Amino acid sequence: MKKKVVVLPCSGIGKAYGEMGRQAIYELIEDLEHEEVTTTCLARLMIDDPETKSLVQDNLVMTVDGCARDCARKNVENAGKKVDKALRVIEIFKDHRDLKPEGVLELGEPGFKLVHILAEKLGREIDCLERKEQ
Amino acid sequence: MLEEFKQVKVGIIPCNGEEIGEGTLTRFACRRVLDTLRPHDTVTICLPLFIAGDKGERNFAKAFPTITVDGCEKRCSQKSTERLSGRPKHAIVISELLKEHGLEPPQSRQALEEKDKAAVDLVAEEIARKVDEILENG
Amino acid sequence: MGNEALMRDPFQRRENISVNEDFMEAPYDKFVFRVMKGYFYHPEECWAKEEGNLIKVGVTDFLQKTVGDVAFLELPEAGMELTRDGGAGTMETIKVTVTLISPVGGRIKEVNSALEENPQLINTDPYGEGWLFRVAPGDWERDKKILMDAQTYFPQMEAKIKEEMAKK
Repeated sequence: MKKKVVVLPCSGIGKAYGEMGRQAIYELIEDLEHEEVTTTCLARLMIDDPETKSLVQDNLVMTVDGCARDCARKNVENAGKKVDKALRVIEIFKDHRDLKPEGVLELGEPGFKLVHILAEKLGREIDCLERKEQ
Repeated sequence: MLEEFKQVKVGIIPCNGEEIGEGTLTRFACRRVLDTLRPHDTVTICLPLFIAGDKGERNFAKAFPTITVDGCEKRCSQKSTERLSGRPKHAIVISELLKEHGLEPPQSRQALEEKDKAAVDLVAEEIARKVDEILENG
Repeated sequence: MGNEALMRDPFQRRENISVNEDFMEAPYDKFVFRVMKGYFYHPEECWAKEEGNLIKVGVTDFLQKTVGDVAFLELPEAGMELTRDGGAGTMETIKVTVTLISPVGGRIKEVNSALEENPQLINTDPYGEGWLFRVAPGDWERDKKILMDAQTYFPQMEAKIKEEMAKK
């Protein structure tokens, strides 16, 4: 059976990067319609939710962290799974200096432009992962 | 001087759940409390950072009272907090709160709609009330 | 207030200052602000550390916490002359652009190349791997006089923290 790609954002609430990662994943799943992609609640790994653990263990996992603290990657690794690809939102920002989000949750137009760029990047990374898997 | 340094603040810990709209709602409600309703009395604890082992988040949650805000009955924030730092003073579950007040949960996890504003207000005000209770009763 | 009195005073006022061999730290809300012992501090939030004949320069924990994750960094090149209190590059985050100030005058001998790929070392380890550059000082004894040691800088940092929190 073909593996899914589980994409997990850090969803950090202290910085705009957390919201951008989250929104990019939603855009990937709901607007760009990558059917093989899914997401789930990162915190469910902490409470040993069996469905979540099995989803993560049995499929490819990509983490999208806001910054160098890499919380999503660390949380997945603490649950016993090595991530297949780890990305940081801040790396996308570095290529688009003019696109500064307007707030932590209310990203505004420039923030959402960056979200869109990030979503497309995630799509390409997922294609790479799937090609490697074949 | 001592009073300043010993000022009690309440840590708000949203679940940030990615899977359902209520997770998105926890974020907006908590930021509303932090930025507008109780800016001098609250701090948000970033749950992923907290779980990943950040010293600052964990020590704060051990030393100061916390309120967990979960989207659903899985209570990830509450359980994580209990495991890592100690029992929160209050645990709010949004799905239950909305049901009590006859409000529908958000349909979208990507963006909250106009009709969800009432839900954000309700949750934010409930958190603020709990913050006041904690600060009054110690 | 002399250094000794300052050393005693914070520990009497506060219950929760940690001191170990390497640094002093003070928690404010959930943030823990660190001050590395043995370093010298400039009022514009940069530090200087003696390393043999050279002076290593970086930014303080207070600064990196205040400005956020470093996305872009422009540093002067090796060979350039700096003046004490003069500009020494810029640091840009998603929130703000900061001009870096040199706490020491002299010629830059080495710039931290690790920061090219990973400027966020400044955030994760501001007193260690996040160092900015090393300088061969022109007159270190003179420059050192305007800098603060850790014990003197610590209460100044606390005053700034309170100011930041009051802005909220």
